[in-house]
Amino acid sequence: MSAQAQNASTSGAFVTVRDLKKTFDVSKPWLERTIERAPKQFLKAVDGVTFDIKKGETFALVGESGSGKSTVARMVVGLLPVSGGEVMVDGISMTTTVDSAAREKLRRRIQMIFQDPYASLNPRWRVQDIIAEPIRAFNLLSSPKDITDRVGELLTLVGLSPLDGVKFPHQFSGGQRQRVAIARALASNAEFIVCDEPTSALDVSVQAQILNLMRDLQDKMGLTYLFISHNLAVVRHMASTIGVMYLGRLAEVSAAKEMFRSPRHPYTRMLLDAVPDLGMSGRARIPVQGEIPSPINPPSGCTFHPRCPLVNDRCRSEAPLPIAGVACHAVQEGRMGEMAARKLA
Amino acid sequence: MTQPVLSVRNLKVEFVTRRGILRAIDDVSFDIAPGEVLGVVGESGAGKSLTGTAIIGLIDPPGRIAGGEVLLQGSRIDNLEKEAMRKIRGKRIGMIFQDPLTSLNPLFKISEQLVETIQTHTDMNAAQARQRAIDLLTEVGIPAPEKRIDGYPHEFSGGMRQRVVIALALAAEPELIIADEPTTALDVSVQAQIITLLKKLCRERGTAVMLVTHDMGVIAETADRVAVMYAGRIAEIGPVREVVQKARHPYAKGLMGAIPTLESSAERLMQIPGAMPRLTAIPKGCAFNPRCTEVFARCHVERPDVIPVGLSQVACWLYDTRKEAAA
Amino acid sequence: MNVMPNEPKVEAQTLRQWLNDSDLWLSFKDSPITIMAALTTLLIFVLAFFAPIFAPQDAFNPAVLNLMDGFTHPLERGAGSNMLFLLGSDAQGRDMLSALFYGTRVSLIVGLCSVGFSMALGISLGLIAGYVGGRTEQIIMRVADIQLSFPGLLIALLIFGVARGLIPPNKHETTALFVIIFAIGLAHWAQYARTVRASAMVERTKDYVQAAQLIGIKGLPIMAKHILPNVMGPVLVIATINLALAVIEEATLSFFGVGMPVTQPSLGTLIRFGQQYLMSGEWWILLFPALTIVILGLAINLLGDWLRDALNPKLR
Repeated sequence: MSAQAQNASTSGAFVTVRDLKKTFDVSKPWLERTIERAPKQFLKAVDGVTFDIKKGETFALVGESGSGKSTVARMVVGLLPVSGGEVMVDGISMTTTVDSAAREKLRRRIQMIFQDPYASLNPRWRVQDIIAEPIRAFNLLSSPKDITDRVGELLTLVGLSPLDGVKFPHQFSGGQRQRVAIARALASNAEFIVCDEPTSALDVSVQAQILNLMRDLQDKMGLTYLFISHNLAVVRHMASTIGVMYLGRLAEVSAAKEMFRSPRHPYTRMLLDAVPDLGMSGRARIPVQGEIPSPINPPSGCTFHPRCPLVNDRCRSEAPLPIAGVACHAVQEGRMGEMAARKLA
Repeated sequence: MTQPVLSVRNLKVEFVTRRGILRAIDDVSFDIAPGEVLGVVGESGAGKSLTGTAIIGLIDPPGRIAGGEVLLQGSRIDNLEKEAMRKIRGKRIGMIFQDPLTSLNPLFKISEQLVETIQTHTDMNAAQARQRAIDLLTEVGIPAPEKRIDGYPHEFSGGMRQRVVIALALAAEPELIIADEPTTALDVSVQAQIITLLKKLCRERGTAVMLVTHDMGVIAETADRVAVMYAGRIAEIGPVREVVQKARHPYAKGLMGAIPTLESSAERLMQIPGAMPRLTAIPKGCAFNPRCTEVFARCHVERPDVIPVGLSQVACWLYDTRKEAAA
Repeated sequence: MNVMPNEPKVEAQTLRQWLNDSDLWLSFKDSPITIMAALTTLLIFVLAFFAPIFAPQDAFNPAVLNLMDGFTHPLERGAGSNMLFLLGSDAQGRDMLSALFYGTRVSLIVGLCSVGFSMALGISLGLIAGYVGGRTEQIIMRVADIQLSFPGLLIALLIFGVARGLIPPNKHETTALFVIIFAIGLAHWAQYARTVRASAMVERTKDYVQAAQLIGIKGLPIMAKHILPNVMGPVLVIATINLALAVIEEATLSFFGVGMPVTQPSLGTLIRFGQQYLMSGEWWILLFPALTIVILGLAINLLGDWLRDALNPKLR
């Protein structure tokens, strides 16, 4: 077992992600490049992300567009090859391709729920076939009757009826489709489920149903979730640990309660302040500046520096390393007090 | 009492389909005063976007306005000829849609689009219009507007584009702006900027705003009053603080409870069972009755009118019986 | 976990309910032209495929024919056998009506099989190009582009000529059917490939494909089971219109003499016969096969039009 695997099992982490990287080649076609004498262009979607997830807990990855959170999700699940770094689940590496038998077994235990309930189910398949696909693919049951029974069980588990199996996806509403997607994820008896913005496309009242369902299932079955979202309020109801991503790097990783009580990274604070104030408590807000820069040409040093109220020269030149879960020079230099002084009443 | 800028009375919108006539908006009434922001909130299928489309007269067959009136500054606009309506659109009613990528023509420079709008609705010459366009861009917060005005839409970021769209909407100094999900396609940090901008500009000009969205948070920050729509009807309408914090209609209550916030401490989100009915299957009586936790006999039979309760109006029989009981 | 109350009840639909609900059926019912076109096509198909049952005479069996019946006018009785010739008879006393049934049968077989062949070829190549991408896609699409720049008829002629050269002369007649099907089929696969490739490229990025890849399904099963059902819509419309085209093309080829032989004539061959008698007064030998092609082509095209409009979600 590698040293990292040792590390993982001793630290009790079920999922370990170490220095994950992903670079896309977005160069112009060869002909144009040669004519314009332009260099190749690369997009660093994920630039060194490290975190752990304990068994049975929910880790949320939060960020805006271009943060790389969806890319991380797809690498963790194995849909996207990594450009660097390692992902280990229960001590087995997802990223090194050596022992394929072990990887195959691992594949069954990891599943994904996608954002768009309208695109994540094949419109031409019946719901029962959609849910049965993982059961068949992993040879979990063989007799058709057993499979039908199991599909019925799963449908009931997610709040639908076994009779719904013969229907097609278009006969269901968005929320019901997402339930089918959850049933499909559970069909292979998965233990670790990556949820990529599972409720972003749903109405608020439906979102509440689905989130409650997911929590109930987690309590009942001991599931581990990696929950991707851009909505901090949603994440607050689901996660025990939260990682905030900005332009491919983790700005801050904290226990959820801690993060909401005392956010450390300036970007985390900005995100929290940007969440609309439904309770109308009149909480103080820091003025928000600028927009997310293009990931192809990220700013130097700390990628957040153009928008940060606490920027100094070191921030412009040197990328901060994560210390105690926060990657911020200001925090390390103890300059957070300046933030409070700038808050508007 | 000042005359409301927009007055919608008993609006009904229908769709004639092969399966029969579907009532998508059923007897909706509200007013918007000058300088006021009215939020129209609801989930998908509630009819909020359609209300905006009906007001500006852009409903295409098989849809049609089947009843009611829409009055702009006291005169009817729902029965105007196409040409007359076209003049009103843009000049007196400005529009902001969700996706700035499709509201702006990608083939034309920003300057051309702005100048065209300004010249159509005012009688400035090209040079004056251009200067006005630059002034507008400054107002909406585009840095170095004299240079950026000659750019194409794809050269701007999402938030910048939406600012340009706001500038376009305000170009002719309209009396009313209809904004349909103006911040939904934007990142959270940019959303806050755009909302604040819209609010500030409209307050300065006294422009009335009808803000249609599914995002309650945006409403809470921006609107003065809010109307909660359900299945083509208004469930509750009132000052935003009242509706958000002391919702009375069971649907509105459920909706507020279902929204996850940073302040709430509930472990489990409140959920409303079931889903909004399809247009082909709207229940008799109160449309919400199959899902209502406080339903009683009358709800299945009679459709409630809006009943004044406190500063709001609520379409729910619960508030009628209490009145009767008190009387 | 309880079943959610009052969610839109998803009930098993009987055929009647499905028909009531189905936009396809409703738009079909509403259009009298389409109904007529469908009935006409159905009639022609039934008469053609069951020719032995419906035809008054076994038209291409020389033993049955009576030369004395030759050149009978329509609606008259033959001089030799005294049989009533509804549409007249040709030089050898062959009943035109029966000849029409058998000829249409051959034409339809060629039409259907060649469309089937080009569909199979075009869909497979299109799926592979759309799903696999990269070099493979480039190669397939360039071949398709090259093919599309030639008129279909010329390609069919070319293939026919090559086949003529390769197949020994004594086998020409027996293999003519296969050669023609192959020729016309090969001339038209590119259209399908293009459409399917475009649709496959769209579907490939959708989450349900990723979900399948996640459980380890790759390549052929994904293409066949997941993507194929979702790209068939536009294909059906093209296929319907191509059927009419194929019948006409086959008729053209047979008319030129490079199509179906005398022993297994199609409508085109019949027209070729009839042409020589047109000027001498026996107009019916040419007219009726020609009319049949026109009616068949029109009916199938109308059906294709309806199908395209009915399947277009924007027009609903």
